[in-house]
Amino acid sequence: MAIKTFAAIDVGSFELSMKIFEFAGKNSIREIDRVSQRIALGNDTYENGKISLQRMDELCRTLKEFSGIMKTYRVDDYRAYGTSAIRETENTTIVLDQIEQRTGIRLEVLSNSEQRFLDYKSVAFKGETFGKIIEDKTAIVDIGGGSIQVSLFDNDALMATQNMRLGVLRIQERLNRLNAKSGQIEGLIDEMVSAQMSIFKKLYLKDRTIKNIILVDDYLSPWVLRKSGKDASKAIAGVDEYERMMEVLRTRSQSQVAALMGIAEERVPLVFISAVILKQIAMLMGAEKIWAPGVALCDGIAYEYAEKNKLLADVHDFEKDIIACATNISKRYMGSRKRAETLESITLAIFDSMKKVHGLGKRERLYLRLAAILHDCGKYISMVNLAEDSYNIIMSTEIIGLSHMERAIVANVVRFNHSPFVYYGQLNREGTKLTEEAYLVIAKLTAILRLANSLDRSHKQKLKGIKALLKDNVLVLTVNSQEDITLERGYFNDRADLFQEVFSIQPVLKQRKQF
Amino acid sequence: MSENNFRNPAYYTNRELSWILFDHRVLSEARDKGNPLFERLKFLSITASNLDEFFMVRVASLKDMVHAGYEKRDIAGMTPKEQLEALSEAIHKLVDLQYSTYNRGLVPQLLLNGLKVIRRHEDLSQEEAAFVDQYFEENVYPVLTPMAVDSSRPFPLIRNKSLNIGALVRKKGDDVLDFATVQVPSVLARIVELPQEDGVRKVILLEEVIERNIQKLFLNYEIVCAHPFRIMRNADLSIDEDEAADLLKEIEKQLKKRQRGEAIRLEVEEGIDKRLLKILRKELGIEEQNIYAIDGPLDLTFLMKMYGLDGFSHLKAPKHEPQPVPRLPAGCDIFEEIRKGDILLHHPYQTFTPVVDFIRQASVDPEVLAIKQTLYRVSGNSPIIAALAQAAENGKQVSVLVELKARFDEENNIVWAKMLEKAGCHVIYGLVGLKTHSKITLVVRREEDGIRRYVHLGTGNYNDATAKLYTDVGLLTCSETIGEDATAVFNMLSGYSEPLMWNKLSLAPLWLKNRFLYLIGREKEYAKEGRPARIVAKMNALCDPDIIEALYEASAAGVKIDLIVRGICCLKVGIPGVSENITVRSLVGTFLEHARIFYFENDEHYEIYCGSADWMPRNLERRVEILFPVEQEELKEELLHILHNQLRDTLKAQVLCADGSYERVDKRGKESFSAQEAFCEEAAALAMQSQEEEISSSRTFIPEMRHEEA
Repeated sequence: MAIKTFAAIDVGSFELSMKIFEFAGKNSIREIDRVSQRIALGNDTYENGKISLQRMDELCRTLKEFSGIMKTYRVDDYRAYGTSAIRETENTTIVLDQIEQRTGIRLEVLSNSEQRFLDYKSVAFKGETFGKIIEDKTAIVDIGGGSIQVSLFDNDALMATQNMRLGVLRIQERLNRLNAKSGQIEGLIDEMVSAQMSIFKKLYLKDRTIKNIILVDDYLSPWVLRKSGKDASKAIAGVDEYERMMEVLRTRSQSQVAALMGIAEERVPLVFISAVILKQIAMLMGAEKIWAPGVALCDGIAYEYAEKNKLLADVHDFEKDIIACATNISKRYMGSRKRAETLESITLAIFDSMKKVHGLGKRERLYLRLAAILHDCGKYISMVNLAEDSYNIIMSTEIIGLSHMERAIVANVVRFNHSPFVYYGQLNREGTKLTEEAYLVIAKLTAILRLANSLDRSHKQKLKGIKALLKDNVLVLTVNSQEDITLERGYFNDRADLFQEVFSIQPVLKQRKQF
Repeated sequence: MSENNFRNPAYYTNRELSWILFDHRVLSEARDKGNPLFERLKFLSITASNLDEFFMVRVASLKDMVHAGYEKRDIAGMTPKEQLEALSEAIHKLVDLQYSTYNRGLVPQLLLNGLKVIRRHEDLSQEEAAFVDQYFEENVYPVLTPMAVDSSRPFPLIRNKSLNIGALVRKKGDDVLDFATVQVPSVLARIVELPQEDGVRKVILLEEVIERNIQKLFLNYEIVCAHPFRIMRNADLSIDEDEAADLLKEIEKQLKKRQRGEAIRLEVEEGIDKRLLKILRKELGIEEQNIYAIDGPLDLTFLMKMYGLDGFSHLKAPKHEPQPVPRLPAGCDIFEEIRKGDILLHHPYQTFTPVVDFIRQASVDPEVLAIKQTLYRVSGNSPIIAALAQAAENGKQVSVLVELKARFDEENNIVWAKMLEKAGCHVIYGLVGLKTHSKITLVVRREEDGIRRYVHLGTGNYNDATAKLYTDVGLLTCSETIGEDATAVFNMLSGYSEPLMWNKLSLAPLWLKNRFLYLIGREKEYAKEGRPARIVAKMNALCDPDIIEALYEASAAGVKIDLIVRGICCLKVGIPGVSENITVRSLVGTFLEHARIFYFENDEHYEIYCGSADWMPRNLERRVEILFPVEQEELKEELLHILHNQLRDTLKAQVLCADGSYERVDKRGKESFSAQEAFCEEAAALAMQSQEEEISSSRTFIPEMRHEEA
């Protein structure tokens, strides 16, 4: 295979960084250059909601330099992502356009869950160590500038993930405003963190202890990694070791710490905040070991790109994580597991038989599965306003690995499963910002889900083992069931309208009774 | 081990006084009758130009300290004032020795060898005088600018380092004495050769020619007396970089200012008219101790020109031609050769051409993506600059860090830096607050199996002219780990953050000093455990107190330490319980010793490093320097051999004694051995051998004489 050169750019809230990678053959990713430049965009965004003119200039100048470096290496492709500092500016669109005009770099904005997913991916790509660690109960603690993300693993699948606005820069910003004395700082951070973490604990942990923590951050990790001789698999340390480090951070002056850790002095307060957050979380969880593989978003960007372009063999089933995550959400809202499974199998049977007609791919199939799993989560709140409640629950719950737009698709599919379908014009008037493309996906998936849903109206899973076959303009659904399906047949005919409208295909239900 | 205070000032030598000793060592080469006569002229000239620079930088900076009321003592416990006083005495002695060498040693010898130096114009014969006068009218008079001082004309600016003739003049029919001066033009040759007579060549110095004709410059005056004088001004360039928005402009400005610095030395002819001297003293505001009455021509740097007179080749050392590097014959593909294994270069015994070719080949190689280099001092008309410009024109990304703060070279540097920029190179004009002294080149090349990085690391500047005179080592490598580090170095120099960690290179001002302290400390620990422990380090200067302290500790623990320090050495040897295990030697030879090589025994797994840094605070704390390990076995042995030869030297080496003085090696029972000569011979033999091999491999067959048994 020819060598492919790729640049990954991370416009973070504290730092701008770029890594250049070479992909050569399966599973060979080689980092050939990395540059980073401190530009604290986050300080502007978190404080004023906008990026100042001066920082904008700095940002563009640096990106322009990055573009020069990319040219030098003659990179074949690049991805540039902005995270919370860009996402949370009031004028994101203007900022993005300006950057493209001034630097030629097309910057995309990652939603929090996408960003965390990339971080998570780069951790997962650390291979064996990751596999071994998540055999025990494990939490990934991803400390960013704007927020932190805590994700829980059990039985090597992702269980839950929660975002908390406790980012290092954000905390620093708040501390500055409080004008705290240096002696108070640790106590203040403790308070901020424990307030939110105790809720997290109630929600997800209860009395379980989490043995391992995987730390993803830009503050402590580099130091840990350096200590381990840049070997990520060796960057595991006991909690006691971190406590010793905490002691050093408490007692030494900034310049001493900077010299000791080999970092710039202005970074020391951020390291301190990061360390306090980690300490609190580790304490609450009762963690014993901490692994800091030292991954950066840029690595995740490269892995994702390689994965999409089939430059890498899979190391971990990320789809499984997303499904597991959704299943857990459903469980939290008392969704019926059995019913979800039936629905999932019917929808997928229909989806798979109609590939040629709907033209949707693997990713959309995943949305459909998620919609099926989450289809009834809203009933936890009210059985009457099922549509709106489900929609709202999904929109405000994080599903790691899905972008905001993707989540909106799933939420809408679930919503229209229960409420009358709304056309594009009307939908947009409601204030949802959906592209036409996304809208079409919603329409198609809704049609399938509705049809499937009608087949299990009685919620008794009568229609297990359904077979779907597309013949000309007719979709024949054959059911092996001894039971009476009159109710289903009735609903089926009602619900077939949207399906016909969307696909111009007539669904037909056949029952094959076996005697 | 007893608790010894290794920081005791009594254990240290003042660095300025140690420098004077260095100039004495150079002077002793001028006095050494074993050296060819004209080489001795050269050494004497070097002592003079060294002293000039020393005044402008070191003495000037001490003066600044005294003015600022700075009282802090140096590592030897001396205040700036005490240092100045001690220096004044030491320098007067040095100058006296310079001129006695010149007058008693060299001039008579020159005469014996057919070159007559006419010291005073009064000694000219009639024909000679006529020749000189004509020479004056035709060549000198047109470029002179005589200046007289009277009530309407203020005392003129006397340029730094310029040679002048001061005169007392009296208007005709008047009693008042006025001061007049004329600069001896630096555009004209200082040495004026007179027509030969009876096979004896004769020369006279330009100032004598002018002095003889000075009346012609002040026609309306009567000349009372005329004497040459020369001043030296404070020239240490200290730029406040935080305030200089544009470094480039600031340096240009400083350059103009330099000529107006405070006068810190006045040299006058011995026997100068007292009235004239008084005027000079008053106008220049100079103290008695800084006035040097010179018995001979002022500014001995003209001797370098005298060395350059044609003929007399039997009185000069045969010129050494830098030899080809066997691994890199002319016309080879350098990248291919480097891929076969690291290559060590030893200049000037081996030619510098491969380094130039390295950049030249990169500039035209279509697969090369980028060339990055740090440039400190570059020769005029440098082929490296030309190649870099060419590369940029060929569409390669060329980044060059040009150090504008290189002492006295700024004007030169600005010119070609601008030229590079015009050619499309990305030029970085140094770093705020740091001087970039490292010598590193990175070539990024796209090859079949991906990006490959080729790196040249050196101990000397990328200057093809000085590479013929300075002894340096360089390494060409495409090691992945060094390549990664080199990339990181240039990213840092471009202002990006430091990498997570360094593989092989150690950088000042980041971690280099700690690295050295660690390496020295490690030997100490081995010594304590009774294992073999040894350090051999070669450098230009040693004055960092932390390093010296570490060396004392190591020595006290039993580490055997041999230091080869060309110049300043603040460490003292032979202090009981402190430095009994340390030896220091200094090599002063035809070539300027410049390489920095560091050997650490490391429990019989010896490590050897080269770098751009001396063990001086300014190198370790205020400069960007690189230390690199040499790890291939054969190359390590080569470096070891270099150190070994230098420790064996009996001809050019002088050894530091416990009393702080340097003495020549006691030759009894030892063969005469000059390391520099040996290296010349070895390089020639090696080149010859590889040439022969090439011939034999291309012209003959090698029959297999035995059947290989399986």
